[in-house]
Amino acid sequence: MNKGLFFSIFSGGILALILSSVFIVDERETALVLQFGQIKSVKEDPGLAFKLPFIQEVVKYDARILALDTVPTEVTPSDDRRLVVDAFARYKISDVVQFRQAVGVGGLRAAEDRLEGILNPVIREVLGSEGVTSNTILSADRAELMARITRRARTLALPLGLEVVDVKLKQTNLPEQNLAATFSRMRAEREREAADEIARGKEAAQRLRAQADRTVVEIVSEATRKSEIVRGEADAETNAIFAKAFGVDPEFFNFYRSLNAYKIAFNGNNSTMVVRPDSEFFNYFKSDSGN
Amino acid sequence: MKIFKGRNLMASNNGGPWGSDGNGGDEKDSGGPESPVNSGGQIPEIDELMKKGQEQLRLLMGGRGGKKNGAGGGNGSGGGLSKGSIGLIALGAAALWLFTSLYTVKPEEQSVELFLGKFSAIGGPGLNFAPWPIVKAEVIPVTREQTEDIGLGGRGDSGLMLTTDENIVDIDFQVVWNINDPAKYLFNLAEPRSTIRAVSESAMREVIARSELAPILNRDRQVIADTALKLIQDTMDQYESGVNIVRLNLDKADPPLEVIDSFREVQAAEQERDNFERQADAYAYTVLAGARGEASQLLEQSEGYRAQVVNGAIGEASRFSAVLEEYKKAPDVTRKRLYIEAMEGVFGSMNKILLDDAVSGQNSNVVPYLPLNELTNSLGKKLGESN
Repeated sequence: MNKGLFFSIFSGGILALILSSVFIVDERETALVLQFGQIKSVKEDPGLAFKLPFIQEVVKYDARILALDTVPTEVTPSDDRRLVVDAFARYKISDVVQFRQAVGVGGLRAAEDRLEGILNPVIREVLGSEGVTSNTILSADRAELMARITRRARTLALPLGLEVVDVKLKQTNLPEQNLAATFSRMRAEREREAADEIARGKEAAQRLRAQADRTVVEIVSEATRKSEIVRGEADAETNAIFAKAFGVDPEFFNFYRSLNAYKIAFNGNNSTMVVRPDSEFFNYFKSDSGN
Repeated sequence: MKIFKGRNLMASNNGGPWGSDGNGGDEKDSGGPESPVNSGGQIPEIDELMKKGQEQLRLLMGGRGGKKNGAGGGNGSGGGLSKGSIGLIALGAAALWLFTSLYTVKPEEQSVELFLGKFSAIGGPGLNFAPWPIVKAEVIPVTREQTEDIGLGGRGDSGLMLTTDENIVDIDFQVVWNINDPAKYLFNLAEPRSTIRAVSESAMREVIARSELAPILNRDRQVIADTALKLIQDTMDQYESGVNIVRLNLDKADPPLEVIDSFREVQAAEQERDNFERQADAYAYTVLAGARGEASQLLEQSEGYRAQVVNGAIGEASRFSAVLEEYKKAPDVTRKRLYIEAMEGVFGSMNKILLDDAVSGQNSNVVPYLPLNELTNSLGKKLGESN
């Protein structure tokens, strides 16, 4: 009984000793072995590693790419237009020894503070530097600016044992107080556009109507021309026909046509004639022998 | 002995038997705020292993204690463990070990196996074996599509973006992604989701910042989505994140709420413009059709006129020719007859006043009174009545 208890405690102690002298470094970590606060070794490769039991301790740091978002800050590009900018950085701990020495026991939280302290001035510096206007930021050059910020931040963060992988701008917006002005400008532009649309519509309509009117006149006058020609031809034909027929005996035509004209001219009882009965018609009016 | 045992138990409660290690653990915690956020996988810490080991130990001891208590009433021998119960415990431990070592991977998942913290293998769907505690496995949904909605107004991101012509556009979009390399996904990025979100927002803002407002609102939406997707994918590849951006849905690319009314007014104006043109078209169609009708009418009328006058002329000429023909056969008689017939017609239908030479002759001294006014008046009256 006693022996069993002793055995179990002894084996437990051995186990504790073994477990205290080995440790596992994960793929995602880098480990520092400290002896009374002093850095003894660095374990960057994942796998099983050893240390002195009890007197050495292991501090592990994330080896992955870490995230940091900056708070929105106002920057003033060289054209004095203010922009609200925020960015995010992706970084990793590239040198744990340097990192430990620079940051101490504060760990990542302290590193984030330090890095943010680097990033904000860098962003302000790059975006406010000579030749960078708000138009540059709002253009295809933005990628180049971000690359510049990244390079600058990388240099400055190196002493912290940090490698800045990437810095990217997120929002580049107008400050709240400029927003209203922009909105009203956008509205004014739209109103102008709307007015333009309507004016153009009216213009087009007027043009279309005028074109139509012109075409109408053209069509009608063309038709009138043709019809007058036809009428003229008809009249000419008529005259030819008459000339041909009447030309055979002009004297008889004269007589015949006059008679026809009298018939039509004095048709109806709306004419009154005062005559002496001495025309040829009245030859037998007074006697049967004639005049 | 008792003290030792107590210390052991206490240590197991504390989570680590050694003060120094506990200290290290604390430092690790303070150093890595990421570790709680860390999706799914815990870093196998030495503390944890220790804890599990302690747990096992305690189980063993407790098991023995229970046995002892149970046996105490029975045979009272109070001796060591019987072989049978040790075998049972060993079997139980083996089963437990097997249970912790076997894990399943669903069809849409893959697992990443870590041999003592070192990446060793990718496990496919099905039952997988990772002998505890040497091999640790993390199961990751690989093919499952995950979505990030950006610009919906959450977390201070309103989706309002500035264009290159300094207009503001409201963008909502959705990034759909999955994992194409689970090992990279697990090992290279501390916060994959928030990184995807941040990179997506940055990429979209970059694309919008170099585009003008009008094309964003109208035709370039697909181009913008494609460009942003490529930018996001490139950045994620640069991070070696193992993330694959499947697609980018540009849900909304509208003017901001504050000015959307004026944009609608433009649309209304566009329609009004269209309307004006349509009305003018309608007018044009109407008058042109009218003109064509009128033109045809004029032409037809003139043709009608031609037919009328030509036929009339032909008729009249024929009639004259016929009369002339007969006239030539007996000129005197025909001439007389024609004259008398004509006069008959003329005089027959008219009001006549005959003045004989006796009254009106030059040798007469009577001046006839002709009340022409009365005559015409009475005539007019008669006409009026007849009308």
